[in-house]
Amino acid sequence: MKMKKLLAIGLSMAMTLSMLAGCGGNTPATSAPAEPAAEDTAEAPAADTAEEPAAEDTAEAPAADGEVQEITFMVWDDLEASEDLITKGYKQSVDRFNKDFEGKYHCTPITTNLEEYYDKLNALVTAGETPDVFIASPGANLNDYATTGVAAKMDDYLNADGWKQTFTSDAVFAGGTYGDDGGDGPGIYAIPLNIAAACVFYNTEMFEDAGAEVPKTFSELLDACQKLQDKGYTPITISAGTAWCLSMVAGYLCDRNGLNLQDIKDHKTDWKDEKVIKAGKQIQELSKYFQKTAAGDDNDIATAAFYNGEAAILIQGSWAIGQINGSCAEGFADKVGVFAFPAVDGSSADPNRVIAKSDSLCMSASTQYPDAAVQLIKYFVDDTASKYTAEVGGKIPVTSVQYDEKVAPPELKYVMDVFKNASSTFGFYNESLYDTEAGSTFDNCFVDIFTGTDPEKALDPIQEYYEMNVW
Amino acid sequence: MDKLLRNKKAIIMFIAPAFILFTLVLLIPICKAVYYSFCNYKTLHPIKFTGVDNYVKLFTKDRAMRAALKNSIFFMVFSIITQFIMGLFLAALLTNIRAGRNLFKNIYYLPCVLSSAALGLLWMFIFTPKLGINQMMASFGWIADCTEGPQWLFNTEGFIILPIIVISFVALWQYVGQSMMLYMAQISGISSDIYEAAAIDGCTKSQAFFKITLPLIRPMIATAMSLNAIGSLKFFDLVYNMIPEGFLGDKAHVLATHMYTQAFKFNKLGYGCAIGVVLLVMCLVVTLLINKFVKVESYT
Repeated sequence: MKMKKLLAIGLSMAMTLSMLAGCGGNTPATSAPAEPAAEDTAEAPAADTAEEPAAEDTAEAPAADGEVQEITFMVWDDLEASEDLITKGYKQSVDRFNKDFEGKYHCTPITTNLEEYYDKLNALVTAGETPDVFIASPGANLNDYATTGVAAKMDDYLNADGWKQTFTSDAVFAGGTYGDDGGDGPGIYAIPLNIAAACVFYNTEMFEDAGAEVPKTFSELLDACQKLQDKGYTPITISAGTAWCLSMVAGYLCDRNGLNLQDIKDHKTDWKDEKVIKAGKQIQELSKYFQKTAAGDDNDIATAAFYNGEAAILIQGSWAIGQINGSCAEGFADKVGVFAFPAVDGSSADPNRVIAKSDSLCMSASTQYPDAAVQLIKYFVDDTASKYTAEVGGKIPVTSVQYDEKVAPPELKYVMDVFKNASSTFGFYNESLYDTEAGSTFDNCFVDIFTGTDPEKALDPIQEYYEMNVW
Repeated sequence: MDKLLRNKKAIIMFIAPAFILFTLVLLIPICKAVYYSFCNYKTLHPIKFTGVDNYVKLFTKDRAMRAALKNSIFFMVFSIITQFIMGLFLAALLTNIRAGRNLFKNIYYLPCVLSSAALGLLWMFIFTPKLGINQMMASFGWIADCTEGPQWLFNTEGFIILPIIVISFVALWQYVGQSMMLYMAQISGISSDIYEAAAIDGCTKSQAFFKITLPLIRPMIATAMSLNAIGSLKFFDLVYNMIPEGFLGDKAHVLATHMYTQAFKFNKLGYGCAIGVVLLVMCLVVTLLINKFVKVESYT
């Protein structure tokens, strides 16, 4: 009897403990195993731009002898499967880092798709498992991490060994610089990797065949589209399913009509401003020339329609160069031309402003291994990576690297021309508004407008959002 | 049995694991969620108690919530009615055939065990204009071009928008097997003596169904309806996977997608918890109503 009781107690305890075992544990976010500790823990070579910064003021956890410092890097694409050339460059940087620091540091990437990137990152942050290094776009998303102490201030690392001087100018840090609202005081919270400008890519062969000219104004753009359509081509390929694609065009139209986002923030005007309404009507005019499946196509499908020769115009960021050249048929790149988004007829707004965006890396403020994390970030902006960014990826590098223009994709030169002629830059509207929800609401309003809703009515949600949360 | 029930220690020991697990993974999170629903709790920001602010905003100012409530209620009513009719029909059909019963049972039940995310993608392809149904309609000559057909997942006009209706039918296809299995289990438990006695008394097949089968499976009808109602109220996967992000807007949300978007996309965990509490209350109310109105009589 006593034996039975003991058995019952033992079994009950085993059941309880086995159930609780599944709830605990601080396992790494990914299943990739850490590299085994190498016997040789000699100093690994540093990246080619700068030496490892002095770590006097950092709080690096002392690693046991021979223990590899394992860090994680979270990015919005699949490093293994992606055909995007910029993503392939990121993978090369991680591989170089892991090879050069074998036995000392090791980086395990956490990959996801762009659409769910911030959701997953936020979930990890909330769970106290912030990746040591993570990618972010300046704007509302980065604000969340920089102002709440999730991202570390990078000034000390940038100034430690002349690393900052390798960048083209201080202006490249503008998107990641915060004042008193920075989580750890004023400073730089994100290191830019490259710059992309939103431009209009066009198929020169189709334009020539249709007798269309490169448009300087919105009405000329409509004329060119009409000519292309008359010739049997699909004039514009765009994704409304991936809402930011459409909202990028909407942002350009609002800006070209003279809308100042600061005026909206300060409530000097509102979302029912005639400039926004006009931009909505112009989206509806332009949508007559979109591919018929624009509503259902996602960004990848819409971009593929351009590089597969199914459509003549793609309005997209210059990151598309990496995507196009990673997937298009040989020789297609020579057919691609680039022009700046046209001015709006009769508007006094500056027509030379360009939407620009940079991918930036943040280091977690709670990382156990800040030196390893900083070294990894350096591998993303060293000469090898920056040359790759320009020559293969087709993005504008942020460091003063010398790259071979003859090797770089031809589209990069056109984008650089657009960028050089720009009077100033502005961010994506959906990333420049009050917060991510405001940005998403803006996106949805323009998808609604695209589906045919009267712009005045379709803008109600963003107007109400600002009334409730901002003004 | 009495001896066993007298052993309080044994009872406690056997109940403890389930009780601890239930408390840890259900009771505590629910209590915390209820508390957070009264707070301004944003990811990365300190939690601030704000009373009923979230609920006031939810019911008076949130457009997406109005649409989500409407869509979720439609979804629930549709699911309860169609799954009851179709599930019972299939169950009655399969219990009356011998050849191929197991085969059809498996065929109807198979979608239940498949991943909703994968099925969502599959059906999204089927309803995408360039592929699937519209392409088929075009090849039959019913429409001039695949893009001319209905915009199954993108039409946002009408009180109940087309994507929600489409997804309701997909959900019916996916989960009707579950209702069918529940009804079949109950029907097979009815003694054949009752049917034989009824047949001797001159009862027809349809009379037997309405006068014997239906009353005797009422307990299962209540259970299946409750499960359908709860399942359809908290439905997420198909809506999230089939409707493109830009079209979810404030018209195509259901409660679960709205909760997910607010909590994880916009980091408003407190507000998301408030939506979750509304969902919980709706599930409880609907279950109570079903159990109240579907009368269960005991024949034992």
